Amino acid sequence: MITQHQAKLASPEILRSNFEKLGYICSDAIATAVYLACQLQKPILIEGPPGVGKTELAKKTAEYLASPLIRMQCYEGLDEAKALYEWKYGKQLLYTQVLKDQLGDVMRGARGLDESVQRLHQFGDIFYSEQFLERRPLLQALQAEEGAVLLIDEIDKADQEFEAFLLELLSDYQVSIPEIGTVKAKSKPIVMLTSNNTRELGDALKRRCLHLYIPFPEASLENKIIASQVPEINEVLRKNLVSFVNELRELSLKKAPAVSETIDWARALLLLNVTALDEPWLKDTLNLLLKFQEDVELVEPELKRLLNKSL
Amino acid sequence: MQKMLSQFIAALRQSGLPISQAETLDAVRAVQLVGIRERELLKTTLSLSLSKTRPNQLILEQLFDDYFAGPSTELNKSLDEGDELSIAAESLPPSADDQSAPPQGELSVLAQQLLSGDGEGLTVAVAAAAGAENLSNISVFTQKNLYSYRIMQRLGDEALLADINSKGNSAPEPALINSLQARREQLQAQVRDYVEQQFLVHAKHKGMKFREDLLHKVKLSHIEHQDYHRMAALVAKAARKLATQHSRRRKVSKRGMLDVRKTLAANAAFDGVQFHTRWKATKIERPKIVAICDVSGSVSRVARFLLLFLYSLQDVLPKVRSFVFASDLVEVSELFEREDVAAAMEIIMQRWGNMSTNYGTALEGLQEQVLSTIDKKTTVIMLGDARNNNGDGRADIWSQVYRQSRRVLWLNPENKVSWNTGDSIMSEYSPGCSEVDACQSLNDINRIFSRLLKNS
Repeated sequence: MITQHQAKLASPEILRSNFEKLGYICSDAIATAVYLACQLQKPILIEGPPGVGKTELAKKTAEYLASPLIRMQCYEGLDEAKALYEWKYGKQLLYTQVLKDQLGDVMRGARGLDESVQRLHQFGDIFYSEQFLERRPLLQALQAEEGAVLLIDEIDKADQEFEAFLLELLSDYQVSIPEIGTVKAKSKPIVMLTSNNTRELGDALKRRCLHLYIPFPEASLENKIIASQVPEINEVLRKNLVSFVNELRELSLKKAPAVSETIDWARALLLLNVTALDEPWLKDTLNLLLKFQEDVELVEPELKRLLNKSL
Repeated sequence: MQKMLSQFIAALRQSGLPISQAETLDAVRAVQLVGIRERELLKTTLSLSLSKTRPNQLILEQLFDDYFAGPSTELNKSLDEGDELSIAAESLPPSADDQSAPPQGELSVLAQQLLSGDGEGLTVAVAAAAGAENLSNISVFTQKNLYSYRIMQRLGDEALLADINSKGNSAPEPALINSLQARREQLQAQVRDYVEQQFLVHAKHKGMKFREDLLHKVKLSHIEHQDYHRMAALVAKAARKLATQHSRRRKVSKRGMLDVRKTLAANAAFDGVQFHTRWKATKIERPKIVAICDVSGSVSRVARFLLLFLYSLQDVLPKVRSFVFASDLVEVSELFEREDVAAAMEIIMQRWGNMSTNYGTALEGLQEQVLSTIDKKTTVIMLGDARNNNGDGRADIWSQVYRQSRRVLWLNPENKVSWNTGDSIMSEYSPGCSEVDACQSLNDINRIFSRLLKNS
C-alpha cells in the first residue's frame, strides 16, 4: 500500500494540502497522524465529539489513495460471524443434497467402511473451502489486492470480547479462521477506528494504535472548512456565523454544535437567502444547530448578547 | 536522541502515563520518520504515539513544553545578548576563535568554549554533564544546589577558576579576565536554570505519586483536610476503573430466540435435520445496588469519603439508589444526579450531617421506602459504624432485607477490635449480612467494591 503511494505520502504537508484540494480541511495534527499511520503501518484510533469529521477522514483518505473504503459499523452484540466471515450454510446444504448421487458414484465399488472413508478423504474439505466462504468487512479488507482503507466505526459500541478479537488483526494484520488457517493481509490496509467514548477502551487496543483526538476546530480553520464546503456564502456572513457557533460552544450545552452542524446551518442560510445574521432568523434556524430542546431554551434568552458578540 | 527520548518517556511515566516498551519503540520509529527539526511536528508525533487518552495528551503536551524548553534557546539568547562581552572578546589582539593563538593556548577547554561564544556546544556540554551526574534522579528541591555544583565541576569549572585567578595575577589582559568572569556567572545561571527545569520535569510528579500512594494506604479518618480534593480525584478514578472493568458482564443463557444461522451450522453434519438448537439470547448483567450511608456525628470523619465513593459509583453504574441517614432515611440519588460532587456533599453534610444516630428509625424508613423494590438481583450496601446510642436497632428489618436481596454488605469504618464496644451493636446486624468488613482506607474500598462488582 505504501510503496505504490510513496509520492502521495511523502510528508504531512503534502497530505494536508492534497486533502484540502479534496475539500477536507484539516489541522497539522490530523495530517501528521495519517502520515504516521501510513508510514508505520499502524491503525489510528480517532476520538472526538460527534460531527468533527472522524468518519469523513477515513472516506477522504480512501478517496485520496484511490483505494476502496471498507466500513464496518460496530454495535452491541457484533460478533465475528458478522465482522469477519461466515460459511454459506444454505449453499452447503443445497450442494450436499444435489451431490448426493455423485457421492453415490464415488463410493460405488468401495468395500467396507474403511475404504469408503479413505475415498471421501481424497476429496478434501470441499464444503469448507473458499467457495463457501462469505466474506465480511474485516476479511474483505485483508484480502483486497491493492490494499484498502478499513474504517471500524464507533468501536466503543462493540463489546469487550470483540475488541479483544480485533487485537490480532490490528497488530499483525492477520486473522485465524479455524477451518482454513491463518489469513494474512495481501496488502496491509490502513485501519482507522473511531470512538465516541461511550466507554473506556481496553489498554491493549489503545497500545496498538496511534491516538488522534480531533477537537472542535479553531475559528480560522472552521472558516476555511465552511468556505470549502459552502463556497457560495458571502464572506461576512461566514465569519459571523462561525464566530456565533464558537460562542455557542462556550456555553454549557448538552450537545455543542459540531462542524457538520455549522455546515448544515450555512447551507440552510444560503437556501433561505439570508445575507446577514439577525435575531429573527437565528431564532428560526436555531434548531439546526441545537439538538436538544433544553439547549434551545437555554440559548434563546441569550441570543441578543451572543449575536452582538459575534458581529 | 534515543537517550533524550527515553528520559522524556521516563518523565511521562512519572506523571502517570502508562507507556509500555512497545509504545516507546513506536515513538522512536515515528520520530526517526519525521525528524526532530520541527518542534510542533515532533510534539504532535509524540502525542500521537505516546498518549492514548485526551487527558494524557494534555499532560504530555504540557510536559513537552517544560522538557524541551531546553537551555539551548536561553543560553544562545544570553550569549547573543552579551554583545558587549563578545565585542570585548573580539577586541583582544588574537582572534578569540583562533584557539592555537598563544595567549589562549593555556586556557582550559571551558574557557575557550566560553570565549568563542559556542552556545550550542555549551548546551550540549551542559546536558551531557547533567546526564553524567544523573540529574533525572533528582527528587527533592534541596538537591538543586548540589546538582548545579556537580554539573559545573564536571564542565571544568575548576580549571576555569584557575585560569581566571592566574591571569588575574599576571594581569596582562584585564579585559579577558572580566569577560571570562562574566561569562562564568552566566554559565552558572544557565546551569541553575537547567537544573530547575529538569527538577520540574522529573521531580514534581514523583512527589505527587508518593503522596497518592500514601493516600491509598492511610486511614480515611486521618486524612487531612488539604488532601480532600486529591482524594476525591483518586476515588473517582478508582470507581471509574472498577465500573468499566465490570459493567459489561455478559452471560449466555439458554433462553430467548432461536438463532437460525447457528442452528443450521451446528446441524449441517446431520443432513439438515435439526438435532441441536442454538439460542440467540445473551443477557447483559448489570448490578442493581441500594447503598445506604450513615452521615451522623460518630462517622463524620469518614462520611465524606464514603459519600464520595457513593457518588462516583452512582456516576458510573446504572441502577444505583443512594440513601443517607442520621436518624431518618433520605434518598439522595436525584441530588447526586443534579449537583456536582462538592455541592452534593455540602448539602448532605449540612442538612443531615453530625446529628445523632438512630439506626432503628433509619431502618424503618428503609422498610417503608425501599424494601418492596429489593429483589434477588439487588445488592445492598451499608456504610456505617452501627453505633446506635443504645436505642432499638430493629435488626429484624435488616434480616428481612437480607432474605429478600442477593447480597448484603456492611462496611464499618471502625477497626474490628472496636466493634461491639460501647454502643456499637454490630453483632445484632452481622447475622443479616453476607459480608461484614472493616473499611478504613481507599485500598479497602477498592478491594471491597471490586469484589462486589465481580460477583454481581
